[in-house]
Amino acid sequence: MSDSAPAIRVKVLFFGRLKEIAGRTEDILDLADGAPIEALFARCVARQPELERYRSSLVASRNQEFVAWSTPLHSGDEVAFLPPVSGG
Amino acid sequence: MPMPAPDFDLLLLAHEPLNLSSLIEHVRTPSDGAIVTFDGCVRNQSHGRRTLYLDYEAYETMAVAKMREIATEIHTKFSIDRVAIAHRLGRLKIGETSVFIAVSAAHRPAAFEACRYAIDTLKRTVPIWKKEYFEDGAVWADGELPRAPEDTATAKRAS
Repeated sequence: MSDSAPAIRVKVLFFGRLKEIAGRTEDILDLADGAPIEALFARCVARQPELERYRSSLVASRNQEFVAWSTPLHSGDEVAFLPPVSGG
Repeated sequence: MPMPAPDFDLLLLAHEPLNLSSLIEHVRTPSDGAIVTFDGCVRNQSHGRRTLYLDYEAYETMAVAKMREIATEIHTKFSIDRVAIAHRLGRLKIGETSVFIAVSAAHRPAAFEACRYAIDTLKRTVPIWKKEYFEDGAVWADGELPRAPEDTATAKRAS
Protein backbone atom coordinates (compact mmCIF):
# COMPACT_ATOMS: atom_id res chain seq x y z
CA MET A 1 0.00 0.00 0.00
CA SER A 2 1.21 3.48 -0.84
CA ASP A 3 2.33 5.64 2.08
CA SER A 4 0.85 8.76 0.52
CA ALA A 5 -2.72 7.65 -0.10
CA PRO A 6 -5.08 7.06 2.82
CA ALA A 7 -6.31 3.54 3.33
CA ILE A 8 -9.77 2.54 2.21
CA ARG A 9 -11.77 -0.56 2.99
CA VAL A 10 -13.64 -2.39 0.23
CA LYS A 11 -15.73 -5.53 0.05
CA VAL A 12 -15.03 -8.13 -2.61
CA LEU A 13 -17.55 -10.84 -3.49
CA PHE A 14 -16.93 -14.26 -5.05
CA PHE A 15 -19.42 -16.27 -7.08
CA GLY A 16 -19.53 -19.58 -8.91
CA ARG A 17 -16.21 -21.30 -9.39
CA LEU A 18 -14.39 -18.32 -7.92
CA LYS A 19 -16.25 -18.81 -4.67
CA GLU A 20 -15.07 -22.41 -4.60
CA ILE A 21 -11.46 -21.42 -5.29
CA ALA A 22 -11.48 -18.57 -2.78
CA GLY A 23 -13.16 -20.82 -0.25
CA ARG A 24 -15.44 -17.97 0.85
CA THR A 25 -18.15 -15.71 -0.44
CA GLU A 26 -16.59 -12.38 0.47
CA ASP A 27 -13.54 -10.57 1.79
CA ILE A 28 -12.93 -7.18 3.32
CA LEU A 29 -9.63 -5.71 2.13
CA ASP A 30 -7.74 -2.48 2.77
CA LEU A 31 -6.16 -0.62 -0.15
CA ALA A 32 -4.81 2.81 -0.99
CA ASP A 33 -7.55 5.27 -1.91
CA GLY A 34 -8.00 5.34 -5.67
CA ALA A 35 -6.27 2.01 -6.23
CA PRO A 36 -7.59 0.33 -9.39
CA ILE A 37 -9.70 -2.81 -9.34
CA GLU A 38 -6.72 -4.57 -10.93
CA ALA A 39 -4.77 -3.94 -7.70
CA LEU A 40 -7.56 -5.44 -5.65
CA PHE A 41 -7.51 -8.55 -7.81
CA ALA A 42 -3.74 -8.78 -7.30
CA ARG A 43 -4.34 -8.72 -3.55
CA CYS A 44 -6.82 -11.57 -3.90
CA VAL A 45 -4.33 -13.52 -6.02
CA ALA A 46 -1.68 -13.00 -3.35
CA ARG A 47 -4.00 -14.74 -0.89
CA GLN A 48 -5.21 -17.38 -3.38
CA PRO A 49 -2.72 -17.83 -6.25
CA GLU A 50 -5.04 -20.14 -8.21
CA LEU A 51 -7.29 -17.15 -8.99
CA GLU A 52 -4.65 -15.76 -11.37
CA ARG A 53 -5.40 -18.25 -14.14
CA TYR A 54 -9.01 -17.05 -14.32
CA ARG A 55 -8.14 -13.36 -14.80
CA SER A 56 -8.76 -13.35 -18.57
CA SER A 57 -12.20 -14.94 -18.19
CA LEU A 58 -13.56 -12.58 -15.55
CA VAL A 59 -15.39 -9.29 -15.71
CA ALA A 60 -15.20 -6.83 -12.84
CA SER A 61 -18.11 -5.01 -11.23
CA ARG A 62 -18.06 -2.05 -8.86
CA ASN A 63 -21.20 -1.24 -6.92
CA GLN A 64 -23.15 -3.59 -9.18
CA GLU A 65 -22.10 -2.11 -12.50
CA PHE A 66 -19.71 -3.72 -14.97
CA VAL A 67 -16.55 -1.60 -15.04
CA ALA A 68 -13.06 -1.50 -16.50
CA TRP A 69 -10.22 -3.07 -14.50
CA SER A 70 -8.59 0.34 -14.28
CA THR A 71 -11.56 1.79 -12.33
CA PRO A 72 -10.35 3.47 -9.12
CA LEU A 73 -11.78 2.26 -5.84
CA HIS A 74 -13.09 4.26 -2.93
CA SER A 75 -14.03 3.44 0.62
CA GLY A 76 -17.11 1.29 0.94
CA ASP A 77 -17.10 0.06 -2.65
CA GLU A 78 -18.49 -3.40 -3.33
CA VAL A 79 -16.47 -5.22 -5.97
CA ALA A 80 -17.02 -8.58 -7.60
CA PHE A 81 -14.99 -10.61 -10.07
CA LEU A 82 -17.59 -12.35 -12.17
CA PRO A 83 -17.09 -15.53 -14.20
CA PRO A 84 -18.96 -15.91 -17.52
CA VAL A 85 -22.66 -15.81 -16.70
CA SER A 86 -24.84 -18.84 -17.39
CA GLY A 87 -28.35 -18.00 -16.31
CA GLY A 88 -31.39 -19.12 -18.21
CA MET B 1 -41.99 6.16 -28.65
CA PRO B 2 -43.70 4.16 -25.89
CA MET B 3 -42.93 5.33 -22.41
CA PRO B 4 -41.16 2.91 -20.07
CA ALA B 5 -43.55 1.66 -17.41
CA PRO B 6 -41.15 0.20 -14.85
CA ASP B 7 -43.71 0.50 -12.05
CA PHE B 8 -45.76 -2.20 -13.71
CA ASP B 9 -42.84 -4.49 -14.48
CA LEU B 10 -42.05 -7.47 -12.29
CA LEU B 11 -38.45 -8.56 -11.82
CA LEU B 12 -37.77 -11.33 -9.35
CA LEU B 13 -35.46 -14.09 -8.18
CA ALA B 14 -37.12 -17.02 -6.46
CA HIS B 15 -35.90 -19.94 -4.40
CA GLU B 16 -39.28 -21.66 -4.83
CA PRO B 17 -40.96 -22.90 -8.04
CA LEU B 18 -42.20 -20.05 -10.22
CA ASN B 19 -45.94 -19.48 -10.47
CA LEU B 20 -46.15 -19.13 -14.23
CA SER B 21 -49.82 -18.23 -14.46
CA SER B 22 -49.42 -15.37 -11.97
CA LEU B 23 -46.51 -14.01 -14.04
CA ILE B 24 -48.66 -14.14 -17.16
CA GLU B 25 -51.60 -12.48 -15.41
CA HIS B 26 -49.25 -9.77 -14.15
CA VAL B 27 -48.67 -8.52 -17.70
CA ARG B 28 -52.25 -8.93 -18.95
CA THR B 29 -54.23 -5.71 -19.40
CA PRO B 30 -57.35 -4.85 -21.42
CA SER B 31 -55.30 -2.89 -23.95
CA ASP B 32 -53.13 -5.90 -24.89
CA GLY B 33 -53.84 -8.17 -27.81
CA ALA B 34 -50.82 -10.41 -27.26
CA ILE B 35 -48.79 -11.97 -24.49
CA VAL B 36 -45.61 -13.79 -25.49
CA THR B 37 -43.81 -15.93 -22.93
CA PHE B 38 -40.47 -17.71 -22.79
CA ASP B 39 -40.16 -20.71 -20.48
CA GLY B 40 -36.57 -21.84 -19.99
CA CYS B 41 -36.47 -25.28 -18.39
CA VAL B 42 -33.92 -27.79 -17.19
CA ARG B 43 -32.87 -30.24 -19.91
CA ASN B 44 -32.02 -33.86 -19.09
CA GLN B 45 -28.64 -33.85 -20.83
CA SER B 46 -25.72 -31.56 -21.60
CA HIS B 47 -23.10 -32.33 -24.27
CA GLY B 48 -24.29 -35.94 -24.26
CA ARG B 49 -24.02 -36.43 -20.49
CA ARG B 50 -27.13 -37.21 -18.49
CA THR B 51 -27.92 -34.33 -16.15
CA LEU B 52 -29.20 -35.13 -12.66
CA TYR B 53 -30.05 -31.59 -11.55
CA LEU B 54 -28.78 -28.00 -11.69
CA ASP B 55 -27.81 -25.58 -8.96
CA TYR B 56 -28.28 -21.86 -9.70
CA GLU B 57 -26.76 -18.99 -7.80
CA ALA B 58 -26.80 -15.23 -8.39
CA TYR B 59 -25.24 -11.97 -7.36
CA GLU B 60 -28.78 -11.22 -6.32
CA THR B 61 -28.89 -7.44 -5.98
CA MET B 62 -26.99 -6.92 -9.23
CA ALA B 63 -29.03 -9.58 -11.03
CA VAL B 64 -32.30 -7.83 -10.20
CA ALA B 65 -30.78 -4.49 -11.25
CA LYS B 66 -29.69 -5.98 -14.59
CA MET B 67 -33.12 -7.56 -15.12
CA ARG B 68 -34.67 -4.14 -14.55
CA GLU B 69 -32.28 -2.65 -17.12
CA ILE B 70 -33.46 -5.24 -19.64
CA ALA B 71 -37.11 -4.38 -18.95
CA THR B 72 -36.39 -0.68 -19.35
CA GLU B 73 -34.49 -1.33 -22.58
CA ILE B 74 -37.24 -3.36 -24.21
CA HIS B 75 -39.78 -0.68 -23.33
CA THR B 76 -37.72 1.81 -25.31
CA LYS B 77 -37.01 -0.53 -28.24
CA PHE B 78 -40.41 -2.13 -28.75
CA SER B 79 -44.06 -1.07 -28.51
CA ILE B 80 -44.87 -3.26 -25.54
CA ASP B 81 -46.99 -2.86 -22.45
CA ARG B 82 -45.80 -4.86 -19.42
CA VAL B 83 -42.87 -7.13 -18.62
CA ALA B 84 -42.33 -9.91 -16.08
CA ILE B 85 -38.92 -11.56 -15.73
CA ALA B 86 -38.36 -14.24 -13.10
CA HIS B 87 -35.40 -16.55 -12.45
CA ARG B 88 -35.16 -19.51 -10.10
CA LEU B 89 -32.20 -20.05 -7.78
CA GLY B 90 -31.04 -23.10 -5.87
CA ARG B 91 -31.45 -26.73 -6.92
CA LEU B 92 -33.67 -27.44 -9.94
CA LYS B 93 -34.86 -30.80 -11.18
CA ILE B 94 -35.18 -31.87 -14.81
CA GLY B 95 -38.13 -30.16 -16.46
CA GLU B 96 -38.46 -27.36 -13.92
CA THR B 97 -38.63 -23.78 -15.15
CA SER B 98 -35.42 -21.88 -14.47
CA VAL B 99 -36.35 -18.63 -16.17
CA PHE B 100 -39.67 -17.22 -17.29
CA ILE B 101 -40.35 -14.06 -19.27
CA ALA B 102 -43.77 -12.65 -20.16
CA VAL B 103 -44.28 -9.59 -22.36
CA SER B 104 -47.59 -8.03 -23.27
CA ALA B 105 -48.28 -5.71 -26.17
CA ALA B 106 -51.14 -4.37 -28.22
CA HIS B 107 -49.91 -6.40 -31.21
CA ARG B 108 -47.92 -9.63 -31.36
CA PRO B 109 -44.81 -8.63 -33.38
CA ALA B 110 -43.50 -6.33 -30.65
CA ALA B 111 -44.22 -8.90 -27.94
CA PHE B 112 -42.35 -11.66 -29.83
CA GLU B 113 -39.36 -9.43 -30.57
CA ALA B 114 -39.15 -8.01 -27.06
CA CYS B 115 -39.39 -11.41 -25.41
CA ARG B 116 -36.62 -12.79 -27.64
CA TYR B 117 -34.46 -9.75 -26.97
CA ALA B 118 -35.02 -10.06 -23.23
CA ILE B 119 -33.94 -13.71 -22.91
CA ASP B 120 -30.96 -13.24 -25.24
CA THR B 121 -29.80 -10.22 -23.20
CA LEU B 122 -30.42 -11.93 -19.87
CA LYS B 123 -28.15 -14.78 -20.85
CA ARG B 124 -25.35 -12.33 -21.66
CA THR B 125 -25.63 -9.77 -18.87
CA VAL B 126 -27.38 -11.00 -15.74
CA PRO B 127 -24.98 -12.34 -13.07
CA ILE B 128 -26.44 -15.80 -12.54
CA TRP B 129 -24.48 -19.05 -12.69
CA LYS B 130 -25.48 -22.67 -12.94
CA LYS B 131 -23.61 -25.77 -11.91
CA GLU B 132 -24.55 -28.95 -13.74
CA TYR B 133 -24.54 -32.19 -11.77
CA PHE B 134 -23.97 -35.47 -13.59
CA GLU B 135 -23.71 -39.06 -12.40
CA ASP B 136 -19.91 -38.78 -12.43
CA GLY B 137 -19.26 -35.22 -11.37
CA ALA B 138 -20.29 -31.59 -11.66
CA VAL B 139 -19.19 -28.59 -13.74
CA TRP B 140 -19.97 -24.88 -13.87
CA ALA B 141 -21.80 -24.37 -17.16
CA ASP B 142 -20.02 -22.57 -19.98
CA GLY B 143 -21.29 -19.04 -20.05
CA GLU B 144 -20.88 -15.66 -21.66
CA LEU B 145 -18.59 -12.97 -20.33
CA PRO B 146 -20.54 -9.73 -19.99
CA ARG B 147 -19.04 -6.76 -21.80
CA ALA B 148 -17.51 -4.10 -19.60
CA PRO B 149 -16.59 -0.51 -20.52
CA GLU B 150 -12.94 -1.55 -20.85
CA ASP B 151 -13.77 -3.48 -24.01
CA THR B 152 -15.26 -0.38 -25.59
CA ALA B 153 -12.31 1.82 -24.60
CA THR B 154 -9.83 -0.67 -26.03
CA ALA B 155 -11.76 -0.86 -29.30
CA LYS B 156 -11.79 2.92 -29.59
CA ARG B 157 -8.07 3.21 -29.01
CA ALA B 158 -7.41 0.56 -31.62
CA SER B 159 -9.46 2.26 -34.33
